[in-house]
Amino acid sequence: MAYEEVKIKTPLVIKILSAASIVTFFGGWELIVDLGIVPSTMLAAPSTVFKLFVVKLTDPNPDGALLQTHAWISIQEAGIGYLLSLLIGIPLGLFMGWFTVVRGIFRPLFEIIRPIPPIAWIPLCIFWFGIELWGKVFIIWIGGVVPCVINAWTGVNMTNPTLIQMARTYGASDWQIFRKLCIPSALPMVFGALQITLAICWTNLVAAELLAADSGLGFLITMGRRLALPEMVVLGMVTVGVAGALIGVAIDALEKRLLAGIRR
Amino acid sequence: MFKAFGKVLRNEFSLYVISFFCFLLLWDWVAKEQILGRSLAPPLDVLKELHRLTTVKLAGKDLFGHIWDSTRRVFIGFAIAAVFAVPLGLLMALNRYINALVKPVFDIFKPMPPIAWISIAILWFGIEEASKIFIIVIGAFIPCLLNAYNGVRLIEPELYDVIRMLGGTRRAEIFYVSFPAAFPAIFSGLQISLSIAWTCVLAAELVSSRSGLGWIIIQGMRLTRPDLVIGGMAIIALVAWLTTLLISGLERLICPWKRGIKEGYL
Amino acid sequence: MEIRPQPRVKISCQHISKIFIQKGKMKVHVLEDISLEVYDNEFVVILGPGQSGKTTLLRIIAGLESPTSGRVFLNGEEVQGPGPDRGLVFQSYMLFPWRTVLGNVEMGPRLRGISKEERRKIVAHYLELVGLTGYEKYYPHQLSGGMKQRVGIARAYANNPEVMLLDEPFGQLDAQTRYYMEKETVRIWEQEKRTVIFVTNNIDEAIYLADRIITMEGKLPGRIKAVYPVNLPRPREHTDIAFLKLRQEIIEASKLLL
Repeated sequence: MAYEEVKIKTPLVIKILSAASIVTFFGGWELIVDLGIVPSTMLAAPSTVFKLFVVKLTDPNPDGALLQTHAWISIQEAGIGYLLSLLIGIPLGLFMGWFTVVRGIFRPLFEIIRPIPPIAWIPLCIFWFGIELWGKVFIIWIGGVVPCVINAWTGVNMTNPTLIQMARTYGASDWQIFRKLCIPSALPMVFGALQITLAICWTNLVAAELLAADSGLGFLITMGRRLALPEMVVLGMVTVGVAGALIGVAIDALEKRLLAGIRR
Repeated sequence: MFKAFGKVLRNEFSLYVISFFCFLLLWDWVAKEQILGRSLAPPLDVLKELHRLTTVKLAGKDLFGHIWDSTRRVFIGFAIAAVFAVPLGLLMALNRYINALVKPVFDIFKPMPPIAWISIAILWFGIEEASKIFIIVIGAFIPCLLNAYNGVRLIEPELYDVIRMLGGTRRAEIFYVSFPAAFPAIFSGLQISLSIAWTCVLAAELVSSRSGLGWIIIQGMRLTRPDLVIGGMAIIALVAWLTTLLISGLERLICPWKRGIKEGYL
Repeated sequence: MEIRPQPRVKISCQHISKIFIQKGKMKVHVLEDISLEVYDNEFVVILGPGQSGKTTLLRIIAGLESPTSGRVFLNGEEVQGPGPDRGLVFQSYMLFPWRTVLGNVEMGPRLRGISKEERRKIVAHYLELVGLTGYEKYYPHQLSGGMKQRVGIARAYANNPEVMLLDEPFGQLDAQTRYYMEKETVRIWEQEKRTVIFVTNNIDEAIYLADRIITMEGKLPGRIKAVYPVNLPRPREHTDIAFLKLRQEIIEASKLLL
């Protein structure tokens, strides 16, 4: 038999170092607040944050809503903006990649909008939409549509030219080539856009909520600052981080499932 | 005559020009007819206002003063982040023990958007320069580190074989292979960091500042001066784009071997 | 009667075995009891289809892998690891993309601390040997496949190794370039004689180049199947009767399409 099963072990030292690192981090954090090295008006110990976490699951004070409510509102806004980015950005990018006319019409607009950081749109958004849902969705959308367009466009550009020539010798029209050749070829790049667009949308959501909102996780963070409750700020930040990470994992799983059959 | 017209419509560049002018006309019309309320100022008004600001002072600085304030913050924060993040990323990729120590903490902080730190920054540093620079550093740190890290991790292992066969030690492997091979990735990390840095400086200036391009936009909002708002947005886009070109130019200088490889849709 | 002096044994492999532990936690038995000897200034070709372990064998001789059992000797001394006394030419060229042709070829001498002017002379000499004079300032991405491989050969030669090891160096080239490079290889070797161990899966290439051909079994674990001395005078012709006879003999013995 030329093949046998054998187990591989990660060196124990590595595992210990990793664990020690995390323990030191949280332990050190707790200590510098408890020992007064850093005043508790500036930083909250992990234990304080955790206590607030438990409280906020059931108590809407002092910021006006439960933790879950804030989280859900944020996720909704980000979700809508994200989906709109995909629904508008990907088809637009695909068409722009292939059809000269589409590209001619939309490219100047795209190139102008692209270098403007989404946050810069906030004052305009406040004017157009107030601090309601759609203002934030707009900011998220404007940030998220860019990587979608770019990735879809690049994906179409990467279609194998030999295949295109071959299709033309069979008499295929532009539209047919686009539908049957360019779009499938672009799929890997399009899927690549999913994760990066999500990260961008989530970042812009937090920014939008920090500046113009009355609910949501960003608002929770701002309230924490206004009420001089650093534990609320940290709780908000941690929830933002965890929620972002979880959604990322979900998208990753979804992507693996959808791409199971398609070879990269 | 129609043939000529058709030809123009099919030429990409002329379409760009036509589309751009239509956009300007549309903008002008929407602004003058106040279709979106008083939120938009016509393009010419924006240009006039920007020109005015180059001579008149707004809160003690003219336009260039504000541009410099924002750019200065970006560069300081960006430089601090790059100086610490790139070597750390390289070290993490080259040494298993440093990786085991740093990566867990890094993974905890990674999913947190840098802007979420604004409130903490204000709690710690007030509304002075330090808080803005702090946020920029936080924002720029992660992409720099990640790209340096991956830049080394994704090197073809056989390149190390080459050095070893030529008589190189571990030191030679690091200096002659790991570092130079990681340069392109480091530069693309710098680009990403830079655009995040601009977003961070804007956010910081929108929240609490007395100068800078973000402040111009917020002033425009407070004083209902749409020409200031749009003017600010336009200048930010321009300056951010110029800094991007700067990094690209630097990359072309330091990594001349990348000239043969095209990227993206350009 | 003429008594030929016994050629020195340059490389000696004694009972080499290699078992890999793959990332998927699987053990792969790649080589089993390989013993062979290569003589001074001999051009030896190791011939075998894909997945026969020949690249692994070459890497063990190079010192990049260590054998699970058995030992390798160079000039009577055991091989402990990679080193400049053996030059390796890779199938995928492995040029440093961030260095020019000059920068690549001078790498070995540079690592040994040789001065800049000396390095320039060395590089100039070996670039001339491989026929690339004038290309010093070019970057790898500006060169064709054949040119890149010539840089790879110059780079290995520039370190003045005792043995040249080539791992299917022309596998990524088209047929025409491949024929050209085979001719060039013979020319270069005759100009600067070295002991050469050349790995390939192409039987015509093997017969064209070799003093001796060592064929490997076609399946894992890799074992030596047979050894064929090639006594044809150089330059050889692919259509020569003796060439074709040897070709037929090897193919029939291996029962494989090479």
